[in-house]
Amino acid sequence: MFDETLALTNRALKKWVRNPFTIIPGLATAAFYLALFGNSFNPTNLVPASAAGAAKSAILSTTFGGAATYITYLTAGVICLIIVFNMSFGGIDIVLDRQLGYFNTLLTSPIPRASIYFSGVFQNLAKAMLLAVLTFVIALIIPDGLKLTSSFGILELLGAFAAFTLLGLGLSCIFTSLALLARSIDSLIAVVNFINLPLIFMSSSLFPSSSFPSWLQTISNVNPISKADEAARILIVTGNPAANGMMGTFVGDMLYLVGFVVVMAILGYWAAARAMKPE
Amino acid sequence: MDAVSVQFGGLHALSNVSFDVSSGEIVGLIGPNGAGKTTTIKMLNTLASITEGKATVDGKDVSKSPAAVRDVIGVVPQELTADDELNGMENILLSARLHHVRGDEAKKRANELLMLVDLEGAAGRRVKTYSGGMRRRLQLAIGLIHTPKLLFLDEPTLGLDIQTRTKMWEYMSKLNKEQGLTIFMTTHYLEEADGLCNRVAIIDHGVIKVSGSPSELKQRVGGDVLTIELTAGPDITDFLRSIPDVHDVVKTDQSYRIKLPKTEKALPAIVEGVTKKGLEIKEIAFTKPTLDEVFLEVTGKSMRDEAAGESESYIQNIITERMK
Repeated sequence: MFDETLALTNRALKKWVRNPFTIIPGLATAAFYLALFGNSFNPTNLVPASAAGAAKSAILSTTFGGAATYITYLTAGVICLIIVFNMSFGGIDIVLDRQLGYFNTLLTSPIPRASIYFSGVFQNLAKAMLLAVLTFVIALIIPDGLKLTSSFGILELLGAFAAFTLLGLGLSCIFTSLALLARSIDSLIAVVNFINLPLIFMSSSLFPSSSFPSWLQTISNVNPISKADEAARILIVTGNPAANGMMGTFVGDMLYLVGFVVVMAILGYWAAARAMKPE
Repeated sequence: MDAVSVQFGGLHALSNVSFDVSSGEIVGLIGPNGAGKTTTIKMLNTLASITEGKATVDGKDVSKSPAAVRDVIGVVPQELTADDELNGMENILLSARLHHVRGDEAKKRANELLMLVDLEGAAGRRVKTYSGGMRRRLQLAIGLIHTPKLLFLDEPTLGLDIQTRTKMWEYMSKLNKEQGLTIFMTTHYLEEADGLCNRVAIIDHGVIKVSGSPSELKQRVGGDVLTIELTAGPDITDFLRSIPDVHDVVKTDQSYRIKLPKTEKALPAIVEGVTKKGLEIKEIAFTKPTLDEVFLEVTGKSMRDEAAGESESYIQNIITERMK
């Protein structure tokens, strides 16, 4: 099971590495959200010029949890957004494999069906996480971009990416199943578009959910994207959670994400097994 | 296969199909598009579920123990599924790994197979640079990496030029003769079935219409046709009919169309008889019956009308591109 999953994941990643240009659209999306959206939709710009200084930092400290800039707040959200987009469209390769007959060669091979499913999950996760790392780098290098807190160290970096990885894994489980169930690229894209935009907008990715109407806040609070956002932001904006009394929230978010992964893996595999049954 | 039926939705893809393939045989399934050829292969490959009846491969029930069936079969699908971005060797070794052939054994076997299909020189090249014929040959090697007992080939020479097709036939008959590989194939090309298969089954509308060795099937349509044209002379129809083995004689002008089971047997007697009567033969010709005639008789249509329809979908384009 493990060896077959590894072999198939390896195959997908090899294909991807040999076609490195396919990463460009994802990178461009990340750059557009951070550099363009981050500046044009920057809510602190709404503060009248006359009131500038104090009012701007008041917004940042109250609404944006003390982030140094809006882009500092936005970075975790854009990384989540990139993960969601990448997961949802990563399934296209799986649909192509089915339509080109490769999927049938796998189904006639003596390998566990689960290895077919989980190789799909891991290949999408690997691609999304590489983009996530690059998005973080973009946020750091753009002017007036991500300003990390002074106590942000290697543990905080690993912690933030652990949150992103859990989110990615859970999403990959569900989107891989959708791709296995989809019979055409068109139908996959239609379904995915119905899922990914609401998922993002009903989360705290782009704006804090505290400013949402209460019904939207309720949804946002159970949205795993908000949990990953929150966990990563605690680390990016305030540094060590133990030193800031945020440990409870951070651990709660991480446990929530672990639960999300477990449930999605079970549901996802159940759906995928149906999709892999003989016609 | 015993009385197997396969239905998709309300559609009967296969109805009550029964036949056996013995170890070491090459069996061909021929039929028009949509007749049920691919469904039969898919069903035996554990890809399509059986609605009624029972099918076993190497004694293993296809529906009850699909995993055991997958261990012993090799599949060369109609689609060219080797990965464009990987090279020939990587493609074979991936298949080896998925069939639990490991390490040095996998490499040794991969090299042997690449040699067999004349691809040893191209093994390090990415498959996207391969021609359609090379891809087909690679696909054959991929299907053989784990030394299967039974190899399934769905339209193995579809879209290939005649030289490459002949090569594929050579590989297949070599594998069959030297390694005793049992082959079950579908084909559009009747000459392929005729030259390669020990047994042929013609399927139409999900039903096996007729099966037997190619020569048995050709006998069914009445054997050879011998045409003799004389320069001049009396009507010899009755004389020709009196020769043993002659089935039927039709005269047009000075030309006689003689139907007989085997030309070789009756030809001397006919020529001798005609010469004895002092008649001069202007032209003599004979045609062996082809499976095309059998096909025509059994299905009511000629195989030549059955060329695959053009499709313009994106996927079709990729597939067509790969076949070039």
